Amino acid sequence: MQNLGTGTRHGGSFAVSCEGLTFSYPGFETTALSGITFELRPGEYVGVVGPNGGGKSTLVRLLNGLLRPDSGRVLVSGHDPATEPFEVRKQLGVLFQNPENGLVAPFVEDDVAFGLENLGVPRGEMRERVAQAIRAVGLEGYERREPHTLSGGEKQRVALAGLLAVEPEVLVLDEPTSMLDAAGRREVLEHLEELRSRKTVLHVTHHLEELLNADRILVLNRGELVADVSPERLLSDPDILRENRLILPVVPRLARALGFGANLKRPEELADAILTRAESGTRSR
Amino acid sequence: MRLELRDVRHVYAAGTPFEVEALRGVSLTVEPGEVFGIVGGTGSGKSTLVRHMNLLLVPAGGEVLVDGVDATTLKKSELRRRVGLVFQFPEAALFAPTVEEDVAFAPRRLGLDEEEVGRRVRESLGLLGVGDLAGRSPFALSGGEKRRVAIAGVLAMGPEVLVLDEPTAGLDPATRGELLDLIRHLREAGVAVVLVSHDLDEVAEVADRVCALHAGRVCAIGTPAEVFYRDPGLAPVTVRVASLLQESRPEIGEPVRFGETVAALRALSGV
Repeated sequence: MQNLGTGTRHGGSFAVSCEGLTFSYPGFETTALSGITFELRPGEYVGVVGPNGGGKSTLVRLLNGLLRPDSGRVLVSGHDPATEPFEVRKQLGVLFQNPENGLVAPFVEDDVAFGLENLGVPRGEMRERVAQAIRAVGLEGYERREPHTLSGGEKQRVALAGLLAVEPEVLVLDEPTSMLDAAGRREVLEHLEELRSRKTVLHVTHHLEELLNADRILVLNRGELVADVSPERLLSDPDILRENRLILPVVPRLARALGFGANLKRPEELADAILTRAESGTRSR
Repeated sequence: MRLELRDVRHVYAAGTPFEVEALRGVSLTVEPGEVFGIVGGTGSGKSTLVRHMNLLLVPAGGEVLVDGVDATTLKKSELRRRVGLVFQFPEAALFAPTVEEDVAFAPRRLGLDEEEVGRRVRESLGLLGVGDLAGRSPFALSGGEKRRVAIAGVLAMGPEVLVLDEPTAGLDPATRGELLDLIRHLREAGVAVVLVSHDLDEVAEVADRVCALHAGRVCAIGTPAEVFYRDPGLAPVTVRVASLLQESRPEIGEPVRFGETVAALRALSGV
């Protein structure tokens, strides 16, 4: 495994810590996860990628206590989901792939309040936290809208607001954009980017381009953590990419084909680099 | 076969307060052996549209023509054999104890003899690169494997038009790339493919023509360049990069596919 300086261990100071996490589904011969060890420091934005069947979804379910490990341990802000599920649910919220499955209430504001109601938060405080969460995802004015009338991106933002209202320290995003169209995807990613400074985020995705600004990227393949590296390192290592069924996103792939470094991420950056080179080429001729 | 939709309209829950006009007069033609991309936001009518291609939904207005013949006059079983429809997340419909049995289900229902059924099962699984899974339970496979088995099940009917509704959603990048290779392979074999996708980059890579839907209407139809350069803000990444350079460097033209774009950018920067 490649490890690029994830710092020294400090007992319970991690937002999430997984140690030797191993899990097999009953009736299956292969282990879904074996010996996974990593930590998330408070405020980090960490991506998780890897092939279908690599163990990404299993990891998410172990983090929020839907599954219990066969061996090893998860700690979320120092709490073990296996023994303190309610505490962990306050500290860690999961945004799932399909927003349709998570929306339960007749109006947006009720849906956002749902998690808080279950925690028994007093009414006045609840109202305030719901309003704040709705603002955080840019849905002011949507409070009395019915969730089924919203676009996919808006639904996913309602689901995100429901998580934020609970004020968890950690957000786990499980392929949050894979059911959305291009516009919905962009709008959800923009709101996630805004949350970055305030939350610890673990973002599971098949879209490497969503992780170009992550602090680190974990690569899971056949149940093993095969890399824990910076995005720059991952993008510039064709072997890790190939072995883990990853493909360079279009901008870095164009950049590489043109002989630029893999640090160009956005279309605008690549266009600028091409213009600069074209102009210097003209001058030298 | 040539599949034509003429002024197709569809209304859900007609005559109730929940009435929704999902298609407001859509006309398009899928030519034999072409890859026809359909793009558009959530709720634009893409999935409703493709359900009319084999008359799973019957249009409230307009008509569907197969080689010029009104599709409602054809036998439904015949139409559905010739136009294969793969829904979103088709793996949800896997049901048999083995992969082989699952893929054999449809060809067997066509009344083919066992030898032919076996040949088609092997061929379809082979095309999808999952021939070695034939004896396994479909429920013990990974998401990407299940998706391929489900597509193989439709392919085994030997369709002339294969409609794929978001075939790559939720798949890892390499598997997505392999499905695009399959689409190219089918085109070479003369099978037309209708590809519905939110992923504009993948549509850009394989489509011969593209139709953009908005609010139940066709807002653009033509070659990928004609459609994607109308609104480069919502276009594949290759088009976004090239369009950023067009103002100062008009000689870049309108590349769409990755290879074309690399060539155009190289010419520009003198590499």
